[in-house]
Amino acid sequence: MKQNRGKWILIIGWILFLFAIGFFCLQMGYIVVHAKFQVEYIDNRLFYIINIFCIICLTLAILLLLRLTKKFKLIGASILVVFIFVNIVMLVASNQEIKNITSVSPDLKHVLSIKENTEIGEAVYYRSYYGFLTRPKERLPYETDGKFKVDWLADDIAAVTYKAADNSIQQYIGTYGDRGSGRSYYYVGAEIHGIWQGKTFEVVSDTEGISVTENGNTELFEWGNIHQFGTLAVILKKNNEAIWTIALNENFEVHSAASEQTVGNISLYKAAMEKNQPITLHYKDSN
Amino acid sequence: MKNIILGVSSVIMIALIIATVIYYKDSNEITNPQLGQLNNLQDNQDSQNEAEQPQSEQLQPVINDTITYTLQKDKLNITYDKGNDWIEVPVEKDQLFDGEYNGNKQKLIEDSYILTENRAAFIYSDGVNWDEKRILLIYSVDQGKTWEKSLITKPFPAMRFRKVDFLNDNFGYIIISGGRTMSQESSHVFLTRDGGESWEQTDNSGVTRLISGGGFIDETTGFLSFGTINPDEPDLYVTQDAGDTWSKATINIPEKYHQILVSAETPVKERDHLIVLVNQGPNGDFKGGQVKGRFISMDNGKTWEFQKEVQPNEAE
Repeated sequence: MKQNRGKWILIIGWILFLFAIGFFCLQMGYIVVHAKFQVEYIDNRLFYIINIFCIICLTLAILLLLRLTKKFKLIGASILVVFIFVNIVMLVASNQEIKNITSVSPDLKHVLSIKENTEIGEAVYYRSYYGFLTRPKERLPYETDGKFKVDWLADDIAAVTYKAADNSIQQYIGTYGDRGSGRSYYYVGAEIHGIWQGKTFEVVSDTEGISVTENGNTELFEWGNIHQFGTLAVILKKNNEAIWTIALNENFEVHSAASEQTVGNISLYKAAMEKNQPITLHYKDSN
Repeated sequence: MKNIILGVSSVIMIALIIATVIYYKDSNEITNPQLGQLNNLQDNQDSQNEAEQPQSEQLQPVINDTITYTLQKDKLNITYDKGNDWIEVPVEKDQLFDGEYNGNKQKLIEDSYILTENRAAFIYSDGVNWDEKRILLIYSVDQGKTWEKSLITKPFPAMRFRKVDFLNDNFGYIIISGGRTMSQESSHVFLTRDGGESWEQTDNSGVTRLISGGGFIDETTGFLSFGTINPDEPDLYVTQDAGDTWSKATINIPEKYHQILVSAETPVKERDHLIVLVNQGPNGDFKGGQVKGRFISMDNGKTWEFQKEVQPNEAE
C-alpha cells in the first residue's frame, strides 16, 4: 500500500515537472513569436498567470520528486513566495497602464479583446487567433475614458459600449461570422428591409434609413448615420453618438435573391452604459 | 537525477525572470494596428514574403540621404541606410498633415519632425471631432525598434504652425499654433525635460498674430517670431525663464531697412552673443528679395543691433 502510494507520488511529481517545462516552453515561444510577428496574449495578464502556474508546478514537482532538507525547503518556499508576489504586482501594475478588456463568446468559440492605453485614452481592438493569441486589428475611433461594457448579441457578435472622453456613448461591434455564404459582402440595412416588430419596439428599414419606434416615439436614422460592422451588425448614430445597434441573429438567413422570403430574427440593442438586454424582433412585413 | 531536476529548475527560474522583465518593459505599449498588419502573420508564409518584399524594393527616399523617409503608399517609412531597410512609423499619414495645412503631402511639414541617428520624432494630431482633437508626438530613440507616444495637449483646434526640436537628450520644445480666424490665432509652447515622455505648457505670450517661427537656444532662453502676412516690422518675443514670462525684444532697425527687414528668424547662439537673421517676408523685393539683415544681441536676446547685410548663401 505504502509502495503504491510512493509510486503515485512519483508519477504526479513527473507530470507536474512536465507541466512546468510545458508552461516554460510556451512562455519562451511567446517571447519569440511576439517579437517576430507582433502577436500578443489575448490578455496581457496571461503571461504573469502562466508564470505563476509554471513556478507552482515546478515547486510541487521538486517537493514530490526530491527529498530536501528543511533548509532547502525554506529557501524554495521563499523563492516561490517572492516570485508569485512580484508577478502579481507586475500583473496589477501592467493592467493599470494597458487595461485589458476580454470577453469570451457564449459558445466559447470566440474571444473579444480590447486593450486600452489608459494614459493617452487610446483603445485598440484585437483579433484573436487560436483562442489565446491576438493581433491588433483596428483602433477605436474615439478617445476612451476607461469605461467599457461588453455584451454578446449572438455567439459571433460582441457589442462593446464605451464612454468617449467627450462623455458621448460610442459602440464598437466585433463580428466573428457571417449569415450568407461567407463569400460575398452584403449590406445589413438592405437585408433587413421591411418592418420588424417586438413587444414595445418596431424597426422599419426603408430607402430613407432605419427608424426605431419605442412606445410610440419614432426616431429616423438616415443612411449617413448608420455604420456597418462586418456583415452582421449596424450602429445607428445621432449627433455623433451611438444610439442603437441592430444585429442579425444566428437564425437570420441572407439570400442573394431579393424575392426570397426573409427568415430569422434581428436584435435591437440600446447603447447605454447601464446593464441592458438586446430585444429580439421578428419580421412583420415588407413596406 | 536530483542534480538534473535542480539544474533544469534553475534554468527555468532564471529564464522566466529574464523573460518577465523583458515582457513587462515591452507590454506597456499597444501595438499599432498598422504595424501589426505590416508583418502580418498569414496562414501561409509565402503571402507574407510577397507583401513585404515589393515594399522594400519600391520605396524611394524623398532626399538622397543616409537617414531619410518616404511617404509613399500613404505610409511614413524611415530608413537609416539610404533605403536598404525601411521601418514603418506607426502613424497614419493623414494624421501628420492634420489641421490647417494645404501644402503637398509628398514631404513632411518642415520642422514638424526630427529624424536623426539618435531620435525620430513626429508631431501628429488625432481625434474625430474638432473638440476632441489631440496633439501627440510619436518618437523613437532606438532607430525605430520601439515607438512611444506622448500627449502634448488636448483638445486643440486645427493646428497650423508646428515645430519640434530637442537641444539634448532630455530637453526639447514644441511650438504649435491653431484656431486661426482671419489673421489671428493662438500659439503655444510646450517643454519636456524627460526626453519627450511628458510635456508641460509654458505661459502664453499673449500675442495673437500668426506665428512664423520660434525656438529655444538653451533650457531657459526661447523666442517666438510673429507675422506672416505683409508684416511691417519684426515682432520677436523672448523668454529668459523657460517660458514663465515673455517680453517683446527690441530690434533696432536702421532707417534704411524700415519696412524692408520685417520678419525675424529663430536666433542662434554664437560664442558670447546671439545673432538673428531678419528677412524680407514673403513679399520682399529689396535686392531681389533674398538679402537678410544680421542682428546681434549682447543681452541674451532682449535688444538687437544691426550688424550687416547678408546674402542668402552667407546666411545659411
